[in-house]
Amino acid sequence: MALIYADERAWESFSDEDREVAYAQYRAFADDARAAGVMAGGDELGSTRDATTVRVRDGETLVTDGPYAEVKEALGGYFVLECDTVEEATRWAARIPGAGHGAVEVRPVYVDPAEVQL
Amino acid sequence: MKYALLIYGDDSEWIDLPPEEKAALRAEEMPQWVTLFEELGKADPSVAGYELNNRLTAKVVKVRDSEQLVTDGPFAETKEVLGGVFLIELPDLDEAIRIASLVPAARTGSVEIRPLVE
Repeated sequence: MALIYADERAWESFSDEDREVAYAQYRAFADDARAAGVMAGGDELGSTRDATTVRVRDGETLVTDGPYAEVKEALGGYFVLECDTVEEATRWAARIPGAGHGAVEVRPVYVDPAEVQL
Repeated sequence: MKYALLIYGDDSEWIDLPPEEKAALRAEEMPQWVTLFEELGKADPSVAGYELNNRLTAKVVKVRDSEQLVTDGPFAETKEVLGGVFLIELPDLDEAIRIASLVPAARTGSVEIRPLVE
């Protein structure tokens, strides 16, 4: 899983044209990854302003507005990439537009064949 | 509305546990996960879920001046790190909060709810 962290304020300051350029870059990345057979999913997350955080302590559900952590560069989206090695995954991650101004965290997805399937 | 449920937990103790203790803890929590999976499946049969490998497996990729920089991660230096994600279509935030409170990890960590951009 490639987790895309970027400055939300920069994104919010973008004009419609700037956003269209950014979306076109993401579409180009997704098309390339799809053509190479590595694309297995992805989504853009809404702003952390619309985040809600839930914790359960002593059987009680505690709900707070806002993200889990207030950070300058927030998780803004992800791709699921089917790669044979971490090196291949990091090569693809480097082509995600967000890697050019923010950061992309690459984390293997845990697979336990004995686990209950959704 | 489609939501991401981002599960944050402190995996630092988990990392050092011997495999048999991990298996025992997984087995102990399994009934709660089964309940959660049932609720997720009822709410949205096309729900997707990913468990991420622990923080030691994370790489952070940045591209600056066309140069690819890969460092050990995770990106956010927080005590609790992203450990899993559910992506699910739900009628409203109240239902997202109810489902989030059923995540076993909400009892020790946090579940952040973020609407997806559709």
